[in-house]
Amino acid sequence: MTTARVVLALTIAAVVLPLAYMLGTALRVEASVFTDSLNPIPLHPTLENFWVAATTMNYPHMLLVSIIFAGGVTFGQLAIAILAAYAFGCRRFPGDGWLFAAFLATIPIPFVVTYVPNYLFIARTHLLNTYLGLILPQVASAYGIFLLRQHFRAFPRSVLEAAQIDGATGWRTLWRIVVPANVPVIFALGVYIFVNTWNQYIWPLLAMADPHMHTLTVGVQDFAAGEGGSHWGALMAGATLATLPTFLVFFAARRPILETLMEGAVTG
Amino acid sequence: METPAASRTAYLYLIPAALFVALFLVLPLVRNGEISLFDWNLVSPDRRFVGLDNYRIVLGDPSFWPTLIQSLVYVLFALAGNVALPLVLALLTLRVGRREADVYQTMIFLPTIVPVSVGALLFLWLYLPTGGPLSRALATIGLGSPNWFNDPHWALPAVSSVAIWKFFGFNYLILLAGLKAIPQSYLEAAELDGAAGWTHFSKIVFPLVMPTLLFTMVTTILQALDHAFVPIQILTLGGPSGASSNLFYAIYQDAFQFFQAGKASALAVVYLALFATFAIWQFRMLERYTQYDDG
Repeated sequence: MTTARVVLALTIAAVVLPLAYMLGTALRVEASVFTDSLNPIPLHPTLENFWVAATTMNYPHMLLVSIIFAGGVTFGQLAIAILAAYAFGCRRFPGDGWLFAAFLATIPIPFVVTYVPNYLFIARTHLLNTYLGLILPQVASAYGIFLLRQHFRAFPRSVLEAAQIDGATGWRTLWRIVVPANVPVIFALGVYIFVNTWNQYIWPLLAMADPHMHTLTVGVQDFAAGEGGSHWGALMAGATLATLPTFLVFFAARRPILETLMEGAVTG
Repeated sequence: METPAASRTAYLYLIPAALFVALFLVLPLVRNGEISLFDWNLVSPDRRFVGLDNYRIVLGDPSFWPTLIQSLVYVLFALAGNVALPLVLALLTLRVGRREADVYQTMIFLPTIVPVSVGALLFLWLYLPTGGPLSRALATIGLGSPNWFNDPHWALPAVSSVAIWKFFGFNYLILLAGLKAIPQSYLEAAELDGAAGWTHFSKIVFPLVMPTLLFTMVTTILQALDHAFVPIQILTLGGPSGASSNLFYAIYQDAFQFFQAGKASALAVVYLALFATFAIWQFRMLERYTQYDDG
């Protein structure tokens, strides 16, 4: 029992300590960043670094770009996943098993194989430096279909049949009966997609060549490569600011997310 | 029973998903194969057909084998740090109370929601050879600090540690879920210590958690290079002299740094071939252990 606790405590320290250093360094006055770097808790905390980072990075605009990117991808992925999961989960049609396997097979396609062609595609269609070019290629994902199908399948068939006898169309059945009954899992999936998209780095860097259109995750690296380079306090403040929105989203929906992810893995 | 007309409308619901997947995932695979047959700089309007020359160049490149071996090293580190360690931790978590376990779960999951670029910059500070927290800690026990990200011996493990930190929590959660699905009575006996406990674990608990374990192994192996990508891009650019590069990063560099689209695409096809062979083999194994509830 005690050995278990010690090992757990040590691992948690190794996992959480870096984050404590991030926040601690961000709250430190510039002069004490190096002299006192081993202690994660600053003696005289100050918010000055946050102000410096927010103004040099143009935080409000980058925040907006990140929200539009993550929000757009989340909306798009949820929309295509809900529709497809309804077909696969609640209906039977010739070739359904085969088509589902085909969608599933696209999940592990690595991004290095698709980025060059997708970059060329948005360049040729004049979508570079636009939100559409940033968002559309990222909507293509079958993970949501896979996760939602499991839940839609579990929906009582008798209810679906009753709705059909009452003359409800498939479209109506989906939005009036199946979706409302699955709000928690759709919500958890949405948060998961949102956080993952928010955290992306390479695609936003490629699709938005104009630094003014960078997301926060790219912007914090721009800041590190420029003004923030040796300014560790301000850089860690920028890093904290880039992470803050996902932490807020996560903590607002912690329980459903963790449960959905765990469930998806076990039944999958 | 649905009428044939009603069942045919089911296809309509698949159209949006099929369009996106075809346009941005499947078509790129085909395009990638096509580009690999040309000598092309990604921007110029003319490109020259060179047949399989790019493949010959890629496979004959003296850096190909070191890059391949380094890719395997990344995978091994990921298996140790993101499968073996989380498994041990998940087993230990079962021994503490529910409320306590809940707190651990949340804390261990935190790095998963940190943007990977932020994680990389954070470790740039933690590993700073002069004045960073790690060098201070090492100094207190009388050890010096190498220049982690610029040292040919340390660059790869240092980059790998960033990826492990970032993606640790996800597998921990999945493995914990797998263990929790095992009936309580089997696990209680596992609290026996010593030889009896180990026998019990290897004979009873291990086979039961095998499907979940295999699932995390497969996904970890397939994603190991993907996970190291941003840390490499921000911390080492694959250096010093390629010491921390891998196949994934070499493809990106060829395309977006050296503008050799044909070469990049050829390497991507080679990578994909290795990747697909492995993925198919792994999923076959996974199938043997997992019973899908498909009716």
